[in-house]
Amino acid sequence: MLSFVPLDVRHKIWGLANRILLALAICHLTPFTSAAAEREPYDDRYCTTCHGTDGRGNEGIEAPRLAGMEDWYLRRQLKNFRAGIRGYHPMDTAGIAMRPMAKLTDDSIADIVAWVGSWDYQPAEITIEGDVQSGELLYGVCATCHGMDAKGNAAMGAPALAGQNDWYLVTQLSNFVVGYRGRHEDDRYGQQMAAMVGTLTDESAIRDVVVYINSLETR
Amino acid sequence: MVNPVSRREFLNLLAATGGIAAALRAGTALNLLPGSASAASLDLLNLGSNQRKIAILGGGISGLTAAFELSKQGYDCTVLEASHRCGGRVLTLRHGDLIDEIGNRQYCEFDDEPHMYFNAGAARIPSTHRNLLAYCKELNVELEVFINENKTSFVQDDNMLGGRPIRNIDYTTNMRGFMAELMAKAMNSDELDAPFTESEAETLLSMIRSFGDLNENDLYSGSFRAGYAEGGFLKHGVQKDMIAFRDLLKSRMGRQIMGANEGDTGPILMQPAGGMDQIIRGFLNHVGEQVKYRAMVTSVKVTDKGVNVAYDQDGVRHSLEVDYCFNCIPTHLMVGIDHNFPSDYVTAMKYVRRGEAYKAAFQAKHRFWEDLDIYGGISWSNTKSRQLWYPSHGIHKAKGIVLGAYDYSGGMYHTLMSQEERIEAHLADHEKIHPNFRELVEKPVTIGWHRMNHMLGCSARWSRNLGRGWTHEEETLYHTLQAPVNGRHYFIGDQISMHSAWQESAVMSAQWALSHMDAQVRAELA
Ligand SMILES: Cc1cc2nc3c(=O)[nH]c(=O)nc-3n(C[C@H](O)[C@H](O)[C@H](O)COP(=O)(O)OP(=O)(O)OC[C@H]3O[C@@H](n4cnc5c(N)ncnc54)[C@H](O)[C@@H]3O)c2cc1C
Repeated sequence: MLSFVPLDVRHKIWGLANRILLALAICHLTPFTSAAAEREPYDDRYCTTCHGTDGRGNEGIEAPRLAGMEDWYLRRQLKNFRAGIRGYHPMDTAGIAMRPMAKLTDDSIADIVAWVGSWDYQPAEITIEGDVQSGELLYGVCATCHGMDAKGNAAMGAPALAGQNDWYLVTQLSNFVVGYRGRHEDDRYGQQMAAMVGTLTDESAIRDVVVYINSLETR
Repeated sequence: MVNPVSRREFLNLLAATGGIAAALRAGTALNLLPGSASAASLDLLNLGSNQRKIAILGGGISGLTAAFELSKQGYDCTVLEASHRCGGRVLTLRHGDLIDEIGNRQYCEFDDEPHMYFNAGAARIPSTHRNLLAYCKELNVELEVFINENKTSFVQDDNMLGGRPIRNIDYTTNMRGFMAELMAKAMNSDELDAPFTESEAETLLSMIRSFGDLNENDLYSGSFRAGYAEGGFLKHGVQKDMIAFRDLLKSRMGRQIMGANEGDTGPILMQPAGGMDQIIRGFLNHVGEQVKYRAMVTSVKVTDKGVNVAYDQDGVRHSLEVDYCFNCIPTHLMVGIDHNFPSDYVTAMKYVRRGEAYKAAFQAKHRFWEDLDIYGGISWSNTKSRQLWYPSHGIHKAKGIVLGAYDYSGGMYHTLMSQEERIEAHLADHEKIHPNFRELVEKPVTIGWHRMNHMLGCSARWSRNLGRGWTHEEETLYHTLQAPVNGRHYFIGDQISMHSAWQESAVMSAQWALSHMDAQVRAELA
């Protein structure tokens, strides 16, 4: 039927017909993608893929709880990840994984911080065991900045610890101790923290202090 | 010693004792009789005037299998899919498509033509994956042969022959020649051929000679099998020079090359004409209206009577109460979603590790491989990009899409790079095979499955005991997760199989769960 049309043009007509049919089929089935010619939009609100429902944290991805995090702390950490001040050490695998996800504009960061603030906050589930008494003694140093109740201190730049995923606190404390976090020259607060973990000499000390934090009343 | 029963005798015995059906099943297992071409008989009860509501979490191929089968039997299904598309790891990229890799969003800029696509996830269907193939047939998905091993493609290793790429046929012909020479030597020693009768030994030796194309002295001295140095049609062919065994042994790539057509990739491989997602489209032709897109599941609570599911769509939290739920959301993501699963279930969910697959592709400005007698297949190199796939389809058209990297075990190497670094790495790697590769290709796409939105990994890794099989504990965890919660919530997907990373496994896991639920529904209605 189309034999008078040159072959490549026939291909094009065929291709066009196919696309129209396809577009019709898609319109019919999935109203969302009805604008077949336009490109699929995307936004930067992808946090919950890793950080879980309402940002409650996901151990399966080693992604911590975001809900309840102070806006100033969240903003600072996002910017640190973006600048490569955090997640720079090859052994900090979860931190490294976070870096490209923080390739965000300031506007996006502001949007995310506001979004996170809107989430329903629930304290994290307790997953580790240890010695609370020993932890309480060890916590003395921490209390200077993070407060007796571990609810954080904005003036010191120290975030709340109570209510955070305990496995995450353990990882981060270990990272500070062994130098996977807080050694970047531009990470002022991280350096402060790295200087404070001297009393946490082994794994059990880290667990104990986190178990003590678990025992504190959350927000 | 008792004479072992021959397979034929065994079948006759079975037919006498267990009936024909048992003999037929056993015959399939023994590879004697051809397997049934239809799906493993899914015999679901039609609901008739009864009603049952179903939630399917995730529009992966297993979820769509469930939706398709249940809809046929009158179930009221809703598929909740977090992404803008169904298919999950069945992802075909074409002109204009969004690649939703977190931190590295891309649009595919390939020319807008039917053959210009890239299967960024599943790409090959072995002929033994009969349940998947049965759906292809039922859904009218046209299949074509996928060329996997290609003797004219290249093998390249910096450690071998100064890094000069050689044809697969040169590598394998010479390697087989030398191996056969060794085997023939062994067979010619009295000690080693002792276990064989004279006629067995003779049969074996003749096969060894032909395996390696040995000369009359049982030595390998090169072979015409590797093609001709010159001539061959209008003039007599001139044999190519042998490549020294020692030189080939500088590379360890034989482990890959000699096994390319074995195991999973041993059967004839196929692909749907026009892209792997034709299967997904086939399913959606039937159940497309039941899918909610950009509907992200946020909570799954199992009750006595069913399952309550919550999901976010358009910034609003919705809820859905159903009788049964089939869930193909990757377990590592499900850990972060609200649920009330029992603790052994949660332990199993947290145990599973996520795989790290990575793929990349380029649009070729012309089909340069065809100028080199290459039509489809894979060139292998000892680089991080590892593989270069030439398309099996679109032969002799102007352009084509080549796979520029495929790493399924150590995919983090490229995943951790920026888009620019990834592309540069692949260009540099493939210049070792095609010196002007850089000029020949354009419009790259890269897919780090570890960062793909709503996926964040490729294929559950159950066994931490790499290479040594599953431990007893792992088997227990697996069976825990396969069993439904309260008879109401079923995990499905290739994650609930002992052979992950295949669509067949995903489809079969769904069929297993469907049959299990069907038994319950039959009991309820009885
Ligand atoms: C690189 C690569 C190569 C492969 N090669 C082959 C091959 O050659 N042959 C072959 O047969 N197989 C291959 N596979 C494997 C095959 O793709 C998978 O086994 C199969 O597609 C898995 O299907 P699934 O049903 O388990 O679901 P998945 O594909 O894992 O789908 C899960 C779905 O859940 C959705 N989801 C996630 N979170 C949520 C949420 N909160 N709410 C709602 N939905 C959610 C996701 O968006 C996704 O659609 C390959 C895979 C990859 C990645």
